[in-house]
Amino acid sequence: MAFLAKGLLSVARQPCLVNNLTHTFRALSLAPRLQQQQKPTLVNAAVVANKSEKVSSELEQKECQDVFDKVNQQLDERKEGRLFAIVHLCGKQFKITAGDIILVEGYWPPTIGDEIRLEKVLLAGAKDFTLIGRPILPAGLVNVKATIIEKTLTHTKTHFKKKRRKQYMRINFQRSPNTMIRINSIEVEQNVGGPAQVISEPRIF
Amino acid sequence: MSNSHLFLKSGFPRAPLQNGIGRYVCQLQRVTLKFCKNHGSSRGMREFIENHLVDFAKENPGVVVYVKPRRHRGPVLVGEYLNGDREWLNCRNANKDDISKWLQLLKTQNGSSSSLRLRKMWHTDVPSIQGPWTPFTLRAPEANVATYPNADASRPLDVEQSATDKLIELFKQQRLADKNKSTDEVLEEKRAE
Repeated sequence: MAFLAKGLLSVARQPCLVNNLTHTFRALSLAPRLQQQQKPTLVNAAVVANKSEKVSSELEQKECQDVFDKVNQQLDERKEGRLFAIVHLCGKQFKITAGDIILVEGYWPPTIGDEIRLEKVLLAGAKDFTLIGRPILPAGLVNVKATIIEKTLTHTKTHFKKKRRKQYMRINFQRSPNTMIRINSIEVEQNVGGPAQVISEPRIF
Repeated sequence: MSNSHLFLKSGFPRAPLQNGIGRYVCQLQRVTLKFCKNHGSSRGMREFIENHLVDFAKENPGVVVYVKPRRHRGPVLVGEYLNGDREWLNCRNANKDDISKWLQLLKTQNGSSSSLRLRKMWHTDVPSIQGPWTPFTLRAPEANVATYPNADASRPLDVEQSATDKLIELFKQQRLADKNKSTDEVLEEKRAE
């Protein structure tokens, strides 16, 4: 566990590897620190700091690579065990694993028997490792397959409004659509920490 | 005011027979369309039967469709499901679009679902994969041997640098810079800043 936490920390500190992992560009805490150190008043101190920074960054990079190698080795040997993922679906996040049932509330076009791929994966994990997206994992890294198994209506909900002493009373009944989805499988498709793959089709999210 | 919700059954999402794990099986087995040949309230049902029913039956070979005319009775849709449920729908004065919509509903649901309040929108057989969270997950094992009260543990996590601390640091930096450079350079840098 401590090793994991350390690995995560080093990933968080390492911009290039993080970009490899997630392909997303975000300002990191490292950048402002460097800028601060390159102020003219602190030339010598900055040089010293840069040197130590370089050494430590190399160390961190090595640590990151070790973590990636371990994860990849586990995936290659198929010893990762059961995977879980957090997916974003219709404005809600679900923590899912293979065989789960989730429900989407409200109107949603897919119909029964449709097999879909949930692409907005925010996080995927196994017993020993966790892949965290910022905010979502790169396309094609994790493949989450699902089947629509039921489209139905909820029970009848009563909307009752009354204003006292105003001769106002309304009663409405409504049933909203519900869609039940079965998660079929969650798989890690690519090597973790590998180079960014060029994806031809643009993501719309 | 209706109090029907007080006696409403509640439950959790389940799918019959592990449906969808290997393949999907349509749960609707039989559907019966009952109508009257002359009565006005069955007009939509008659139109639906004339125009769309054959298409529906062709699209869904797994569903048996019965058509049952009866005199001077209202139009009715009845669906029978694989789990033995039977859903009865009154279609009085409904037009053909309404009827095709209700028939789609009968087809897409797993059983008679009208009287079940769902308590969760999620069902899993494996609630935790990395183990449930405890206060000791992802903590350093040193906490096991620490003695309390502990000064480190009692300190707040985010003590901001106070203005005095900032000033002291600035002063120290200035001293460092002054040692390394002549006064002119320092002045220039000040201006540049």
